[in-house]
Amino acid sequence: MTDLSTLSRRHFIRVSVLAGGGLLVACGGGSSSSGNSGANNSPDDNAGTPSTPADVIQVGEFMRISTDNQITILVGAAEIGQGALTAIPMIVAEELDADWSKVTSELSPVAIKFNNPYFQNLLQFTVASSAIRGYFEGQRRVGATVRQMLINAAAKRWDVSPSSLRTEASHVIDDVGGRSASYGELSSAAALENVPSNPTLKDPASYRIIGTSPQRLDAVKKTNGSFKYGMDVDIPNMLTAVIARPPRFNGQALNVDDNAALAVPGVRSVHTILNGVAVVADDFWAAEQGRKALVVQWNELLAGRTDSATQRTAYNLRLNIPGVPIRNDGLVLAAQTLASQTLSADYYFPFMAHAAMEPLNVVVDYDGSSAEIWTGTQSASLDKIFAGLILGLPPGQINFHVMPSGGGFGRRGNPLADYVRDACAVAKSLRQPVKVIWTREDDMKGGFYRPAAAVRVSASIDSANNISAWTHRSVTQDVTALLYAENLLDSVADFTLPPLKELTDFETGMPYKIDNVFMDAHLTVNLAMPALWMRSVNKFTDVFAQETFIDELALRVNKNPYNFRRDLLTEKPRHLAVLDAVAEAANWGFSGTGISQGISVMGHWNSFVAQVVEVSISASRELTVHRVVSAVDCGTAVNPDLVKAQVESAVIFALSSILFGEILLEDGVVQQSNFDDYPVLRMYQTPIIETIIVDSGNPVGGVGELGVPCVGPALANAIFAATGERIRELPLTHSNFKIV
Amino acid sequence: MFNIRVNGVARTVDAVEDKPLLWVLRENLKLTGTKFGCGQALCGSCTVYVDGQPTRSCVMPIKAVGDKDIRTIEDISNEHIGNLVQQAWQELNVPQCGYCQSGQIMAATALLIDNPSPTDQDIDKAMSGNICRCGTYPRIRKAIHKIATEQL
Repeated sequence: MTDLSTLSRRHFIRVSVLAGGGLLVACGGGSSSSGNSGANNSPDDNAGTPSTPADVIQVGEFMRISTDNQITILVGAAEIGQGALTAIPMIVAEELDADWSKVTSELSPVAIKFNNPYFQNLLQFTVASSAIRGYFEGQRRVGATVRQMLINAAAKRWDVSPSSLRTEASHVIDDVGGRSASYGELSSAAALENVPSNPTLKDPASYRIIGTSPQRLDAVKKTNGSFKYGMDVDIPNMLTAVIARPPRFNGQALNVDDNAALAVPGVRSVHTILNGVAVVADDFWAAEQGRKALVVQWNELLAGRTDSATQRTAYNLRLNIPGVPIRNDGLVLAAQTLASQTLSADYYFPFMAHAAMEPLNVVVDYDGSSAEIWTGTQSASLDKIFAGLILGLPPGQINFHVMPSGGGFGRRGNPLADYVRDACAVAKSLRQPVKVIWTREDDMKGGFYRPAAAVRVSASIDSANNISAWTHRSVTQDVTALLYAENLLDSVADFTLPPLKELTDFETGMPYKIDNVFMDAHLTVNLAMPALWMRSVNKFTDVFAQETFIDELALRVNKNPYNFRRDLLTEKPRHLAVLDAVAEAANWGFSGTGISQGISVMGHWNSFVAQVVEVSISASRELTVHRVVSAVDCGTAVNPDLVKAQVESAVIFALSSILFGEILLEDGVVQQSNFDDYPVLRMYQTPIIETIIVDSGNPVGGVGELGVPCVGPALANAIFAATGERIRELPLTHSNFKIV
Repeated sequence: MFNIRVNGVARTVDAVEDKPLLWVLRENLKLTGTKFGCGQALCGSCTVYVDGQPTRSCVMPIKAVGDKDIRTIEDISNEHIGNLVQQAWQELNVPQCGYCQSGQIMAATALLIDNPSPTDQDIDKAMSGNICRCGTYPRIRKAIHKIATEQL
């Protein structure tokens, strides 16, 4: 976690008066990395407020208080559905004592001041469940600072001591003098106040907004069709492009016959770029027809030839070879030697696609000397850096608009900025505003998948039936391997990568009290097989192996899987609390007739989760998931309803992966293309989902990914309870289950 | 040139005859509330009403529209039940990323117009053509039941 003293040094607050009155607050210092001046044809206004004139918007502003008492809070984290546009303003509004009914929010410009403290303030990067836990303390300080300045302004106006005043619902109140003033009235004067260096933060016991569940600020616009995504951006003279990509990753266009494509009415031009051939047209349909008419010969000398079956064999072989140690407690070898038995199991997981509902898209308006870019992204800072490299522009010449995303799940957090680079390459060649649209098929075949993985776990049992040793070995590939191996970002000045361990999410947190533990990993590099993190990253695979194998051990020593875990978690109170909570809520051990239960538990992202899954399986192997119960401890739930929504979301996302999720490659060619051959969970397959928040009062933890990893093992454990079969690979369609 | 009727308004559209209605709505008429999700009638994001029937606009060529009435998410609040659906969606915080919700709301409104007290099976049948990757299905189900119980 970020050192808070460093954070406060970096986040000094700058304040100025808005043209036309009101208060502008900027957090942090330094020069801006994004010019937001000049004409802004703003098709991306989701706030419902008129576009702010260009001379008022300043990079680095966190908040606007208008003279009519409206407060607009700018959010540096991406809105990918998780509710950043609601929860982060709640944090600011809490310390500000704002009237929540008058608070709105917008996504911020791309600027240093909005970087995520979780990543050492280096990037605007919304991955690793880091939005709330990253921004929490800094945003509290912003709110508290402005509140104090408003109080100081009121104190001057009334000639009283600031300490005699209090605040409530966007008003400063003088109880003794029997008067009050709204923040809007005070904002201009407050802007002239000195910035307090160490404002008092609230005692959490006095929170009035944090811990409540107001309606999402984007709920109305997300129900009437007016909420704007990147796909909806429309600017004057904009053309539309689709890109023909090679059938195998890293193939390159050798010969392009574009005669037929250019003959399609509406097609304007064809551009060969590094990663494919772009067809530019007046509209999407013409571009798509043009692409179909395109004849391209691909140079496949360097093309990827990843084959799922071959790779699986190779990964299984590597399970026999020691990897890079990532955890080493005690003396595993000695314990194994002394054990009465050592058991082991191998697991395999295929590539999986994120398949967010909004296919990838980018709008670029490049005129040769500056550019404006709109896209839904989780990785705006790096996207902007790569855009600059492709377009040959300094950051100040790029106005980058982060759009809300129609889902991300990690795909829009690509540190290699693949889709932004491609769109910039098209725009550079075209020099006219262009929207590059990916079709569903482009998205499904476009790589950057959750990487395939093999996992081997082993456990040793001593003569007293205790678990004396545990080993865990993973073989997988990850975008982070690419970053570290390729030194791809060397050209970017002052750039430091976030710690590898944080981003890979390799399992090292195996919580059970076992004296001798050894974990190692092979992080393979395959430049011609783009992989990327997907919601819960390696936890999805590692925890599946860990939590199904611990179940096997429980039965091996004749214990109930719940009690067995309890006995091994006596020193892990937060794991234990969620485990107990879920067992109680799900009525563990007392399922209905024909229904079997499975359980699992884990902790990560500074949060803890335990889940019980209930299934039934018919004689013809029809698998029905009836209910998933989750107990989560995320420390402090800023908005409990959003936390529950995230857990519901994660359960369904996990079920899609567990039941169906598989991208298969044959000799380098992806076999899936759309939702017919890459099915995801639908309404009729959705179980009852119940979620309990265990309020531990601890610091905020992450919740976006928390609900994912335990669903698989709890489901597999339930299948074992029903059938006696152990699940060693995903998806479950491989085990001949029919999903009902 | 095609003359079509969208949300009660006659519109003239310059488009090739096989251009899907989805892209006519989004590009020619700037009605971007209807979303592109799969292009193959597999996900339901592009659902609009054609003469009252929920229809996948991504596979309906403009030439097939003729004089049929097209209705989109932008107009659904003018439908009593559509308005109730939107309100229930807001109250229960149904949307997450929100991208599929135009289609979900069109499908749910059609269901409730047709059947004011749908069972879980009815909901499964009517709503399973609409994919949501954020997993808002439980709240969609709850919202539909809530409207049926409290307001219809």
